[in-house]
Amino acid sequence: MYTKEINERSPLRVFEKSIHGGLGKGNMGVVMSRAGVGKTAFLIGVALDDLMRGRKVLHVSCGDSVDHVRAFYNEIFEDLRRSMNMADSRETLETVDRSRMIHTFRGVEFTPEHLERETQVYGKTDGFEFRPEVVVVDGFDFAKADETALTAMKEYAQRHDVELWLSALSHRSDPSTSPQGIPNPVGRFEAWLSVIVLLEPQERAVLLRLLKDHENPNVEDLHLRLDPKTLLLHREG
Amino acid sequence: MFKDLSKVRNIGISAHIDSGKTTLTERILFYTRRIHAIHEVRGKDGVGATMDSMDLERERGITIASAATHCEWQDHHLNLIDTPGHVDFTIEVERSLRVLDGAILVLCGVAGVQSQSITVDRQMRRYNVPRLAFVNKLDRVGANPIRVADQLREKLGLNPVLLQLPIGLEADHQGVVDLVTMKALYFEGPNGETLREAQIPAELAAEAASRHEHLLDAITMFSDELTEAVLEGNPTVEQIREAIHRGVVSLGLCPVLMGSAYKNRGVQPLLDAVTYYLPNPTEVKNTAVDLENEESQFPIVVKPEAPLISLAFKLEDGPYGQLTYIRTYQGTLKKGDTIVNTRTGRKVKVGRIVRMHASEMEDINDTMAGDIVALFGVDCASGDTFTDGSIEVSMTSMFVPEPVIKLMVKAKDNKSKTNMSKALARFTKEDPTFRTMVDEETSETVIAGMGELHLEVYIERMKREYNAEVETGRPQVAYRETITQTAPFDYVHKKQTGGSGQYGRVVGRVEVSESGDFEFLNKVTGGNIPTEYISSCEKGFRAMLAKGPLVGFPIVAVRVVLTDGASHNVDSSDMAFQAAARGAFREVYRRAKPQVLEPLMKVEVESPIEFQGDVMGTLSQRRGIIIGTTEDQGFVRIESEVPLAEMFGYATILRSATQGKAEFTMEFSRHASAPAAIAEELVKKHQDKVAGKKS
Repeated sequence: MYTKEINERSPLRVFEKSIHGGLGKGNMGVVMSRAGVGKTAFLIGVALDDLMRGRKVLHVSCGDSVDHVRAFYNEIFEDLRRSMNMADSRETLETVDRSRMIHTFRGVEFTPEHLERETQVYGKTDGFEFRPEVVVVDGFDFAKADETALTAMKEYAQRHDVELWLSALSHRSDPSTSPQGIPNPVGRFEAWLSVIVLLEPQERAVLLRLLKDHENPNVEDLHLRLDPKTLLLHREG
Repeated sequence: MFKDLSKVRNIGISAHIDSGKTTLTERILFYTRRIHAIHEVRGKDGVGATMDSMDLERERGITIASAATHCEWQDHHLNLIDTPGHVDFTIEVERSLRVLDGAILVLCGVAGVQSQSITVDRQMRRYNVPRLAFVNKLDRVGANPIRVADQLREKLGLNPVLLQLPIGLEADHQGVVDLVTMKALYFEGPNGETLREAQIPAELAAEAASRHEHLLDAITMFSDELTEAVLEGNPTVEQIREAIHRGVVSLGLCPVLMGSAYKNRGVQPLLDAVTYYLPNPTEVKNTAVDLENEESQFPIVVKPEAPLISLAFKLEDGPYGQLTYIRTYQGTLKKGDTIVNTRTGRKVKVGRIVRMHASEMEDINDTMAGDIVALFGVDCASGDTFTDGSIEVSMTSMFVPEPVIKLMVKAKDNKSKTNMSKALARFTKEDPTFRTMVDEETSETVIAGMGELHLEVYIERMKREYNAEVETGRPQVAYRETITQTAPFDYVHKKQTGGSGQYGRVVGRVEVSESGDFEFLNKVTGGNIPTEYISSCEKGFRAMLAKGPLVGFPIVAVRVVLTDGASHNVDSSDMAFQAAARGAFREVYRRAKPQVLEPLMKVEVESPIEFQGDVMGTLSQRRGIIIGTTEDQGFVRIESEVPLAEMFGYATILRSATQGKAEFTMEFSRHASAPAAIAEELVKKHQDKVAGKKS
């Protein structure tokens, strides 16, 4: 099974080791970067990693269409497959399709209530009963968010016992940080978040830095160089 | 013949089934004086709208086949193609879009962008058709053209810009404000034929001014001249129109007009907009395929003096024989000319050229680049290209999907039998997605197409137009078979029964072909199989693909690699190697782990959000995979993939699950392996059938 092959080069494995086994159910994690660095690709990488380990994922996108998100998954999956020289993958892709739900919005803004409503509908539908274990919210607007919204999101994660990953856009024009040194707009909400990851563009690579690791006061000095296309660990040499 | 191509517009009217497109076409024909009275689609006067020339369409109040018609407006020549709105007839829509230079996308002012509008728009995008939007039914309760314009951006990703504002809505709808000229327009007289220009009503003045500014903002990027004029504060109406025109032609802009065709409001300004903003034939880039030059791109020169290239895009069986609708892309075609069908190489003499006005016609002597007319007495298939013989090109082949459903048909008596074959011969020529074949095992006639409704309509047409009474079987899904692993073969065909014998040995392997097609690779060296018999082997393997042994459906995605073999000086022959190949395939097929594939349909349901769970339930009970959901102001769009076999009768199920408030579209997505239990059942059924025949 090639999921094993992927595992060896997945930054998430290294990551899990350094963050003591992953984000953990009921917790919220954030990946932040400036526009165009690869937040969505990173989140899809996290989701695919879970999907291929048989977990159910709800992917919420604030802005892209269902077709677009699905095409993005297929593209990243194909990149992974190619970089690993894996054989035909149709069956795995089908499993991915079956274990993942994509939810998007048109003309309405994302709120935690939407997420709650959608999850309840999935749970109650006869013959469907989709209960996500991982929820990804891509495009969550941290700049506009307030404490109530973050609290509602955190409560959602705990109520449904899911790992909740969010993406956050940071701005070059706003160099401010929280007292712990987490850049805004995420820094303001540091208390709600268990894991904070920063992606920084470098020449021919993306640097992954771990800024917060649960309650661990000594965050491991994790600097992973990732392939900018697949966001897998860069092959050295 | 038109001399001035800049005054020609070839346009289609495309829309969702109930958005009032036929009524709009009817009004256009009335205002352009092509007809002298207005009939309603479901006419109380029993006449029916003029463009719906088939009885069936009249009865169902829908348009099935696209009829081309010609009319004139403000010294412009308009060729209108009325296109069907139902998804089962998409080949008709696609074929029309292929020959159009522009289109009017008709939207219901209440329902807005519905799922079918999305399908139609996707097709327009595929053929790069510039479009105007017409928001219809402003007289209806709940109409809101501004919201519909927003949906054009949100749901279709267009760049809509309002060219008008409504003066009153619902029962108060009186007219429109023209945001280009900044005048109010009212439609007076018994049929709205008198246009009255007036000052913008005071209560709308502020909004009109702000929308006018917004319009200028949106279009200046298409014209430097306009940008300068706006900066100087004096843009002219002509400059504004020119900028909009450029935006539309470059597919960067979708002007939104509005009115109520039924109440005779807003149609004339829409016709004006067609002449101002949609491109003329010289402004659209078309290419043909050069058959003499490895199918390289052949640029079309839209000039009457260039060598002739015409495309037959639609056939109709009229009372006077076959009517062939053609679009001429370059050159001139005259009555009496001899033209060449590049597909068959056959020469045809052009007897009559006619211009169609809905169901009436006018004889003309010639037609030239950019025009759409019909020919009489020309035998050809839909999609054929004609030239004058000096060049060998073909218009790019149209995208034709494989049929996904089939149905047994049987004539009730001998007379019906003759009529049925006539009808089937005609339909297959008209519609490339409609196929007919005879089942070798049962000797039954089978028809195949793109959906239940697609086939139903043809059965109705057989009865009505051809007087053929037919019985039909249950609709059947078009399954496929394929292999899942590589398997080697080594097979000897040997027969020695007096006279000359037969001998052929083939060695090689079968494997999965990623392209999805059949591939044949010859790797035989040293002449172990003489070169002349290699093609015999290929023929033998190919012969096995039509009917797979598992369920009797075509086998796809197989590559045969022939690596070795043996022959005999006297006993080897074409026949012997064909037989060896067939034998080898029969024997190796089981070992290559064959599997049944079933067609999956992309099903999109749009429903009020309170029924989301119920709708998802109906889909997952049908073995559907739900891909995703999109929330949209009280509505939800659910995207899924469902096996076609589970979709029969879905319309009724969906209606009862949602109180009739949801709608769905369905198109072929791909073939995927059928679940084991279902495959087993199909295999068993097929084996029983085969055994039954033998006993």
